[in-house]
Amino acid sequence: MDRPTGMQNLFRGRKILALPLLALLLLVVLMYRDDAKPVIKIGVLHSLTGTMAVSESPLVDAVRLAVEEANQSGGVNGAQIEMIITDCRSDAGYCAQQAEKLITQDRVQALFGCWTSACRKALKPVVEKHHHLLFYPLQYEGLEQSPDIIYTGAAPNQQVIPMVTWALQRRGKRVYMIGSDYVFPRTANKIVKKLLQAQGGQLVAERYVPLGEKNLDAIVREIATLRPDFVLNTLNGDSNLHFFRALQQAGIRATDIPVFSTSIAEAELVAIGPELVAGHFAAWNYFQSVPGDENRAFIERFRNRYGSHRVLDDPMEAAYIGVRLWVNAQRSAGTQDLSTVKNVLGQQTLAAPEGVVAVDAETRHLWKTVRIARARTDGQFEIVWQSAHSIPPAPFPFFIPRTELRAMEPVAP
Amino acid sequence: MRIFTRLLLLFLLVAVLPLALYSYLNLRQGEATLRQQALGRMSGLADKKAIQVKNYLAERVQDVRLLARGPRVEEAMGTISQEYAGRLKNAVNYQREDARARLNFERYVEEAGRFYDLFLITPEGEIIYSQKHESDFATNLITGPYRNSQLAYAFRAARMTLEPIVSGYEHYEPSQAPALFIAAPIMMDGQFKGVFAVQLGNELFYQVATDATGLGQSGEAAFARRDGDGVLYTTPLKYRSDAAMKFRLDRQQIKTTPMFGALSGESGEGVKLDYRGKSVVAAWRYLPGLDWGMVVEVDADEVFAPIYQQRTVLLQTLLALLLFAGLLAYYFGRQISRPLEGMARTADEVAGGSLDMRADESAPGELGLFACAFNRMTESLQVLYRSLEDRVEERTRELNVTNEELQEEIIEREQLESALRDSETYLRVSLEDLRYQKFALDQHSVVALTDVSGTITYVNDKFCEISGYAAQELIGQNHRLLNSGTHPAQFFSDMYRTIESGQVWSGEMCNRTRDKGLYWVRVTIVPYLDNDGKPAQYIAIQADITASKKAEEEIRNLAFYDVLTQLPNRRLLLDRINLALSVSLRSQHYGAVLFLDMDRFKTLNDTLGHDYGDLLLIEVAKRIQSCVREVDTVARLGGDEFVVLIEEIDAHAAEASQKVALIAEKIRLSLTVPYPLKGRQHHSSPSIGVCLYLGHEESADTLLKHADMAMYQAKDSGRNTVRFFDPKMQHAVEARAELEADLRHAVPDEQLHLYYQIQLDNEQRALGAEALVRWIHPTRGMVSPAQFIPVAEESALILEIGAWVLETACRQLSDWSKNELTRNLSISVNVSAQQFKLVDFVDKVEATLQACGAPAALLKLELTESVVLSDVADVVAKMHALKALGVQLSLDDFGTGYSSLSYLKRLPLDQLKIDQSFVRDIATDANDAVMVHAIIDMAHNFGLDVIAEGVETEDQLAFLKLHGCMAYQGYLFSKPVPVEAFEKLLGRGNS
Repeated sequence: MDRPTGMQNLFRGRKILALPLLALLLLVVLMYRDDAKPVIKIGVLHSLTGTMAVSESPLVDAVRLAVEEANQSGGVNGAQIEMIITDCRSDAGYCAQQAEKLITQDRVQALFGCWTSACRKALKPVVEKHHHLLFYPLQYEGLEQSPDIIYTGAAPNQQVIPMVTWALQRRGKRVYMIGSDYVFPRTANKIVKKLLQAQGGQLVAERYVPLGEKNLDAIVREIATLRPDFVLNTLNGDSNLHFFRALQQAGIRATDIPVFSTSIAEAELVAIGPELVAGHFAAWNYFQSVPGDENRAFIERFRNRYGSHRVLDDPMEAAYIGVRLWVNAQRSAGTQDLSTVKNVLGQQTLAAPEGVVAVDAETRHLWKTVRIARARTDGQFEIVWQSAHSIPPAPFPFFIPRTELRAMEPVAP
Repeated sequence: MRIFTRLLLLFLLVAVLPLALYSYLNLRQGEATLRQQALGRMSGLADKKAIQVKNYLAERVQDVRLLARGPRVEEAMGTISQEYAGRLKNAVNYQREDARARLNFERYVEEAGRFYDLFLITPEGEIIYSQKHESDFATNLITGPYRNSQLAYAFRAARMTLEPIVSGYEHYEPSQAPALFIAAPIMMDGQFKGVFAVQLGNELFYQVATDATGLGQSGEAAFARRDGDGVLYTTPLKYRSDAAMKFRLDRQQIKTTPMFGALSGESGEGVKLDYRGKSVVAAWRYLPGLDWGMVVEVDADEVFAPIYQQRTVLLQTLLALLLFAGLLAYYFGRQISRPLEGMARTADEVAGGSLDMRADESAPGELGLFACAFNRMTESLQVLYRSLEDRVEERTRELNVTNEELQEEIIEREQLESALRDSETYLRVSLEDLRYQKFALDQHSVVALTDVSGTITYVNDKFCEISGYAAQELIGQNHRLLNSGTHPAQFFSDMYRTIESGQVWSGEMCNRTRDKGLYWVRVTIVPYLDNDGKPAQYIAIQADITASKKAEEEIRNLAFYDVLTQLPNRRLLLDRINLALSVSLRSQHYGAVLFLDMDRFKTLNDTLGHDYGDLLLIEVAKRIQSCVREVDTVARLGGDEFVVLIEEIDAHAAEASQKVALIAEKIRLSLTVPYPLKGRQHHSSPSIGVCLYLGHEESADTLLKHADMAMYQAKDSGRNTVRFFDPKMQHAVEARAELEADLRHAVPDEQLHLYYQIQLDNEQRALGAEALVRWIHPTRGMVSPAQFIPVAEESALILEIGAWVLETACRQLSDWSKNELTRNLSISVNVSAQQFKLVDFVDKVEATLQACGAPAALLKLELTESVVLSDVADVVAKMHALKALGVQLSLDDFGTGYSSLSYLKRLPLDQLKIDQSFVRDIATDANDAVMVHAIIDMAHNFGLDVIAEGVETEDQLAFLKLHGCMAYQGYLFSKPVPVEAFEKLLGRGNS
């Protein structure tokens, strides 16, 4: 039996009860709604115009990939990362000005940038003045360390020193040095000369040519005359193309006098032409041919994003892991406080494409695996030697007495 | 039945659903918080552990670094490698060297347990020395049987990179045990001469690694390395003590464990299954030095025990509540719906004409009344119907109207009834609700009730548990009983202001337990308000946060201060340096960073043990602090390394460096005093590196680096010394030392010469000469007196020089006395303060005069004001004694000091010498002119001669002559010249 009056009665009662229920529901929704968080900014300082543009623009791609991956996996402490990309115009002074602007006006949380040592030396005082944070992705000459810089490239003992020792053991004692005339080759060669002294090597000749020099025929003639056991090449940029071309024209083959280069990676192989360099050697921590799941996945992600024709090399990987280390440190610190993040960074480790890397809290450089490889005609490298474990960074080489190290430090431009 | 169903549903909806929702959210929140806390704690512990292990290794690498660079290893490598090749032919030599090395290295291996074995390896890989002489001795690491061992790896990598290298951890055949090696290149004169390697002691290393402090009952730290496809545990495990290098898991077994994450180079934390398959709260890290993964874990059961318990209680409570509410709803529903249904039926039938029907009046309350009324109405209807049957037809319409009104009334009453019932049950359920919420609260939190004056009226069991009081001891007491004195009065007055105004207060509070311990709680105080909106009592709900507070405090202390010495650590030091740099930038004053390292500290530590070393470090810290100002910072970087930051020293670099050199020297001396340690005298000394700074020229790190480099230079140059980082500073300090050293040879090697400057009277007649010392050094050439006299004065050399000057001058007087031309000439000799203060100065003068046979009356001693101003009685006595010998006395540099006239009167002087600074400006500066005039007048009044020195121009001479001066000396007449030249000058003057 049912009556409309009874129904009305019940309805009225339910309305009274529905109100608190609704309020309760609203409260629950409010409690669980995420607060919108602001973005977190980083500054990317690479040359997109000028002579360094060819080398540096791929690094921006690597940084972008790492940033996009971090954003897809939830960003940093709920915030999305925003890159502010600044063109350094291949001008170290201009780059330092831009760094100042990124820090003071855009209020970025970290800087990623530079290729040349000149650029790094220009940025260092700016970054240190603001106690800020810079990630520097290139192998370099060492003799430097800063609480505000993370060096993700190799220190001398992680590239040039083992490479030269290896060559001395396998090829012989007579070394010919050719390099571009600026900070890195000159300082690196100073260290190598000490190394030759230590390991009983013999310096046949030490030659420098201006950056961008095209005529290396005289150098090659000298090499042909002196017949060193191997050549240590610290040339940078276009000169490499002319150097290897001249070698070929002079009929000097890699099997006769191999060239060991510090600045020729996969990208340079493509630019020079692999057949000119094939058989010669280079040392890096990362080669695209490094085996392992991490690297395979890294190459795949990079090519999915930028196209299957792209090659990867050590500086790109170092730029990429710089961002990864920073993101992990931010997440682990749970705060944007720079000094906390820098502290946490000192304890970071990462399964990187090159293998496991770890930040050395004291030197702010990375523990890295050292690899020596021979260039192949297909534009890739074949690894001929690698360290069994990762090697701790030593920006100030142990075998050189401290008093002498001081004298070797390059003077800031 | 529909009303009944709805009532039932409403009951459940209103009573149970919110409670269930609330409980669920609360539980979830609690669980999330606990989980977060546990993971955070574990992560902190993992970081600490990782740093501990890294530091232990870094310290050992540092040991090896120092040993490889040290003289012991160099010497042993040199001698043994010479004898090794011929060891079979000439066993005696080889065994002697080997035994010597054995003696030298023994302590590193035998004691402390850090190292198990030591090796010397030639560049070719031959092990030519091993402390233990296991089967690896005299094998080759490149071609021999152990070429695949980790020792061989460390050797090769050290040779390749010329850096210290830590090997992997693997079974080592010669030792029949797992082993880790550290190898460093031995460099001699820039040449690679071999490798020095150590084998780490396992026991001590295991202890450091697996120490499970802070990990609760079930926790442990586990370490493993990759082994092919799987992993191999490298240290003993809590639940498998034989695990070290034996317990292996393959990839499938390990994939889900935290160790997998650690070994792939990641760090993280979470709840995972560990190697036993047990659920654990774990944090994992990768250790690059060892290429190991590390997992710090505690059983989840232990961590989450409180939340499991809470969950069970809440679920049971909810179920009970659901059942109770259901039954209650059923009962009240029936109470309402049954009479209503009956009445509806009766009313239907009455409406159908059965006026004899009556409703059931037994229903309670308003329903019964309503039934009564209905029945009376029906009766009235019936009576009316009967008596007015004939009027029915006229009244039918009226009756219908009445009937309708009645029906409306029924509806109204029905509504009223229903509303009443609803509110009553709502109240009842709410009360039940509250009781269960309180129960839940008691299970979860520490709860207390107080009245407005703070007197405790209720505490739950948890409260008693945490405070250590029984409930009856607390009730009736004021809450102040628990006050720990940690918080300022302001803290409590803020709290009372908040809750007295009826608002909820929450915060962290430190209380005292019954046995005077402290505990921390997070407190939320909710005031109960009475009808006037004033608080009637307070409920305090507290959660125990003592553990996290303690951890926080520990971390804070660790972060800034060195535990052993209580000095600031590196981090605080860097802060201070940065601050000091800013201050220096503003003030433009130099400051300095001193880097100290105790020489041979390791020897003490290794021979006498750590507690001796620690005592020494504490003493060193005290001594350094006593040598510097309070504002200066003394910090300990670790080990035996100290840094002193001295701020605001001086605005000039040269001054600042001299001052710092003094402070550093003071510290060095104080640290060289023997240390009484546990009844023994221990000798030690520091090597100190100094680096000056000004403003922000260098970063704090660079400064430290530079000071460190300077310290190493100090060590290199034989320890127990101070070295400046800046070569210029070092040169300045060294140059002074060199000058002093050279000066010591000046007298014996006859490098000193006396020059004579002529003194003339108004008629240009020679009166005598002032004897001036000149130093002609074989390589330095002529050294200015301004340069070497201060150095001589600082050391005792001035005495020797002074004696020589006096003697030479007397001999000259004696020579001159034999010549007609020179027999009346006097010689003035400068006497220094030190010389004059000698007790037997007067005797010495007398002896010299006699020895040379010089006429005393022609010797004139020149004293400066600084000489005569000290110890008046002694000075006057000595001067009288000199006068008695016949010697003349002259006051040099007169006018530059502060001699008072009365004082001057007491001195038996013969002559005043007007300082050249007055003479120089005599013609241009009116003040100087007046001064000179005054001096000459005064001299005349006292009956003293007066001589002006530094006369260079005719104008000056004229002025002096005009004002009554009688004697002159200066370049106008002659500069100081050797005696031969002087004698020539006399001849010319006379001719």
